Amino acid sequence: MTAGLRKRLDRNGLGLLSPPLLLLLVIFLAPLLAMLPTSFQPYIPGKGIGEGFTLEHYAKALTDSYYLEIIGRTLALGVIVTLTCLVLGYPLAFFLARTESRWRPWLMLLVIFPLLLNLVVRTFGWIALLANRGLVNDTLKALGLIETPIKLLFNFGGLLIALSHIFLPFMVLVLVGVIRNLPRDVEDAARTLGAGWAATFFRVTLPLSLPGILAGSILVFVLTVSALVTPRLLGGPTYKVMSTLIYDQFLQLLNWPAGAALSFILTAIAVGLISLSSGMARRMGAGT
Amino acid sequence: MSARAAERWRARGLAGFAGLMLAFLMLPVVVVVLASFTTTSYLTIPPKGLTLRWYGQVFADAEYIDALWFSLVLAIVVTVVSIVLGTMAAYALARRQVPAAPAVSGLLMSPLAFPGVVIGVALLQYYTLTGLRGSFAGLLLAHLVITLPYTVRTILASMAGADPEIEAAARVLGANPWVAFWKATLPVIRPGMMAGGLFAFITSFDNVPVTIFILGTRHTTLPVKIFTAIEYGVDPSIAALSTLLIAGTAVFLVAAERWVGFHRFA
Repeated sequence: MTAGLRKRLDRNGLGLLSPPLLLLLVIFLAPLLAMLPTSFQPYIPGKGIGEGFTLEHYAKALTDSYYLEIIGRTLALGVIVTLTCLVLGYPLAFFLARTESRWRPWLMLLVIFPLLLNLVVRTFGWIALLANRGLVNDTLKALGLIETPIKLLFNFGGLLIALSHIFLPFMVLVLVGVIRNLPRDVEDAARTLGAGWAATFFRVTLPLSLPGILAGSILVFVLTVSALVTPRLLGGPTYKVMSTLIYDQFLQLLNWPAGAALSFILTAIAVGLISLSSGMARRMGAGT
Repeated sequence: MSARAAERWRARGLAGFAGLMLAFLMLPVVVVVLASFTTTSYLTIPPKGLTLRWYGQVFADAEYIDALWFSLVLAIVVTVVSIVLGTMAAYALARRQVPAAPAVSGLLMSPLAFPGVVIGVALLQYYTLTGLRGSFAGLLLAHLVITLPYTVRTILASMAGADPEIEAAARVLGANPWVAFWKATLPVIRPGMMAGGLFAFITSFDNVPVTIFILGTRHTTLPVKIFTAIEYGVDPSIAALSTLLIAGTAVFLVAAERWVGFHRFA
């Protein structure tokens, strides 16, 4: 090898990049591309994937009332869980970002701990809390607030509570990062100029933390509509969202074409929102 | 009420709300731990009586022990390979000329944007066609795909703090490229490698949505094992196993915090 060629290879990063890129091409992009034709093939009950080209799986997903209800429920869950995490998470993030307590690192670890804990274990905790004879119903009964247990499993309410709990740490961590970097002197200036705390908060602090609110909201929304474990365990086989519907199409009904079409619709929602928001973030000048 | 008193009450109100939220975050954890000690055969909180019987049942169950070992071995191999691949990618992106660099880093991060269940079902079909389904290699490759974004991102962030001139100086002084990297750059990016490795380990050890579609029949991972056990019906032995995982995670977190200051990377 000549010295010149060696020098050029030394400066080019493709050699180093080829193993990770090859992995992604073969084990990530190729499987996704291979699923694309499947989603356009007919499904023959009892036999599986048939020959030919059809748009029926996409058409059915976007017109059939059963499918539309599940897609609508998934999106509604995404929006409401995101808003819940925002309303509950902002004050907590604000406190954690501004506190001068020497316990701050440990309080942060309390937020991180649930994230590290196995998701199945956290969901199991919510089963114990929300079941008919779970802690929530027992407590309400002991307080005399209800006579018969309220149904909290296998419905929207239970999923909303559990998913909000599971994704709250993501929202808080994103917001803590943004609030800590806010210029404090702008707030001080507003106060000096006579603004009350509410005016200062709503007209200075909150608008300045918008990039974090946007980033955290997109993250929580995408995670919620993609979630499989919690909706499956708390919703059971009957109360479905998009990801559990895909799970059933592939593992129980063996209708891979319909499952593939639903997968691409779910992907379009998740990836579309993420690329939309990163475009917005660039325009807002936030480098997150 | 004076303005200062109002300020104090607002601060107290905020701290009180933050405390409530932290309690909410820990609530399911506490509930699981309590439920694991009950003498009843069904879940009840507070527990009736006090017994370690469910822990005995977990340790006596060969399937759980096998799943735990399988998950640990898988996660450790995934972590090591993911750190190596992540370092290669981050080094190339930070130090070398890469054509279409934004597209390359976008591709490296893209598994994060895709729903896990979609990656799972795509691999189910692909592995069925290629014969990788149920193999350890197939599982390892799939877990590398979903952990790579974390190792690339944290190592890339720590590369920013490593001065390329130091490595160049080592080269000028006669060190070969490998030694120059090992002595001049690696010590600086080591915290990033460790943090990325921790994320990779947790992501692999925790994963259900991808794993459940490509598992073989011989071995199963611990979270998938618990997931299917819950689908069949809950009993306090799942609470006991969960409590062991909670204890393990707590030890892991405190060790990681001491080791690399974990809260700065999250």
